[in-house]
Amino acid sequence: MRPPVARRWLATPSFRALLALAFVVVLGCVFNADGAFFHWSTHRDMLRQVSVYGILACGMTLVIISGGIDLSVGSVVGLCAVLFARQTLHQGESAAVALGLVIAAGTAIGLASGTLVARFRVQPFVATLAMMVFARGLAKWISGGQKISQAIQQPDGSFAYEDLPAIFQRIDRRILWGNLSVVTLVFLGCVLVSWVVLAKLRYGRYLYATGGNEEAARLSGVPIARTKLLAYGLSGLFGAVAGICQAAQEQQGDPEAGSTYELTAIAIAVIGGNNLMGGRGGIGLTLLGALTIGYLEKILSINAVGESSRLMLTGAIIVAAVLLQRRGNA
Amino acid sequence: MHKPILSLLALAALSASAAPASPRHGDKWIVGMSQCNLGEPWRVQMNADIRKAAEAHPEIELVFKDAQNDTLRQRSQIEEFINAGVDLLIVSPKEAAPLTPPVAAAFSHGIPVIVLDRKVLGNDFTQFIGADNRRIGRAAGDWAVRRLLALPRVKDGGRARMVELTGLMTSTPGQDRLAGFHAALQGQPVDIVFSADTQWLEPQARAEMESALAVNPQIDLVYAHNDPAAHGAYLAAKSASREKDIIFIGIDGLPQEGQVYVRQGLLEASFEYPTGGREAVESALKILNGDAVPRQVTLNSRFFTRDTVASGGKWLP
Repeated sequence: MRPPVARRWLATPSFRALLALAFVVVLGCVFNADGAFFHWSTHRDMLRQVSVYGILACGMTLVIISGGIDLSVGSVVGLCAVLFARQTLHQGESAAVALGLVIAAGTAIGLASGTLVARFRVQPFVATLAMMVFARGLAKWISGGQKISQAIQQPDGSFAYEDLPAIFQRIDRRILWGNLSVVTLVFLGCVLVSWVVLAKLRYGRYLYATGGNEEAARLSGVPIARTKLLAYGLSGLFGAVAGICQAAQEQQGDPEAGSTYELTAIAIAVIGGNNLMGGRGGIGLTLLGALTIGYLEKILSINAVGESSRLMLTGAIIVAAVLLQRRGNA
Repeated sequence: MHKPILSLLALAALSASAAPASPRHGDKWIVGMSQCNLGEPWRVQMNADIRKAAEAHPEIELVFKDAQNDTLRQRSQIEEFINAGVDLLIVSPKEAAPLTPPVAAAFSHGIPVIVLDRKVLGNDFTQFIGADNRRIGRAAGDWAVRRLLALPRVKDGGRARMVELTGLMTSTPGQDRLAGFHAALQGQPVDIVFSADTQWLEPQARAEMESALAVNPQIDLVYAHNDPAAHGAYLAAKSASREKDIIFIGIDGLPQEGQVYVRQGLLEASFEYPTGGREAVESALKILNGDAVPRQVTLNSRFFTRDTVASGGKWLP
């Protein structure tokens, strides 16, 4: 017996992810901090704030669908933020060259993880954990442990000050008459790219097949190793984009930037309803997950909720949102 | 401070630390430096200050270890220094209680120990060098109150509205920087209209400041527990085109951070939290040469404003 169309739609992951988002938005309407929640600027700022996490979650989604996990993305943010700041601020490279170099570096880190996973059969958790530690070390080495900022130390110990290259302002500004941050646009661009990869390309089908049942996929001719390699490469690429956005927003390259961001990226993918076992999910779910996490943080922040309660509430609301998603799935 | 007690303590130190007469290995003094964490610019600066001060003294050789913010790792690194038989140990401990036994063990092995920034318990060390966060917070508070009282709106009997962006509130520097500042606000026409924990992180501070701006149409001043947080708050205000209406002040005053922000006119003031690196090396040389040093040194700190930053700041009153 086929259930009626409405019932079937109610049981889709997208609807359940929407339900979780709606739950958080209703919370925001109730606890609106004297109406602050009803101003567009609050939503605009939330979107800016969640963008770096969201960009990472796009790459994470590809990897998760392929049946893996990428713990290195937070460190890639730190590495790429440092590299971008160094090339533009200290080396005076042009923006285009620096952007190319940084994106190549992030992709290389991702491909290295991918090689470990695909060719050497290292478990994704272990391979990317090792890469997370290594990339963080690389970030600290390149930067000498210091933030790379406009202040540049001279041989005599004093500091000279560089002007901020225009590219920083270009990324950290708003368009549409001040109503949308450029980094949010970058995030939406990453969502679009991921959507094309997952829904429109043959490679997307390979990703689902590999994550769903690797053995069956292999037997039906899916190039497993190349599929996985590319997934981690794309995750590294998105990590580099996130690192550039991070550096632009901080106006510096902090070697500590992005620590624990990988956990937020995973939380976004999971809260959206992507299956950590692989083979199922989609980028739309990740977008909904990003909005859910973003609103949650924003609502707690505009209400000036204390740190301890904030952590407990975040945990509790994530569980509530995930349980809401499972309703109707039973 | 009670002077007599201090000098008594210094006397006790004299009898307690019998400095070795000559280096244990070769012709150089080996000085071990156990740093709890190199993830913060301030601690990187501390190591840099130590290295720089030691450059002028070829007779000492420094060995640095970084505990990566892990108490037990720092404990074993101190034990490694004891086993290696260093001539002197400088420790900037992550926490007091769990690191007291290894520091005491080094001391009882006849290794003079200089404790930097954070304390250990008991008396089994040669010298403690640190700055007073509460005093710095108080100075920031006094400065803020004076600045706010000069605002026309407050002169006319209005109340000033300010935002406090705290450091990690489970850490003692965060608690002391808050307590000192709040003591200065006692009885003053200043309200803290928004307060949030930034965990010392700039991106976090920017996000919190965006919320503060969303809920408060009028903000006169932002006090951040470190300069990166003050910078993050400034960027949030700038993005909302409200940076010109707000006074930003921060703490730490590092040459490449707070002092730059003051020079650029982003912050109106930054209050230095000195690392004590140079002082530690000076003390180490005294101890190794058999001279007496006081048991406790409280570092004085400077503050930087637009007028004074170029000339190296002013000492706190």
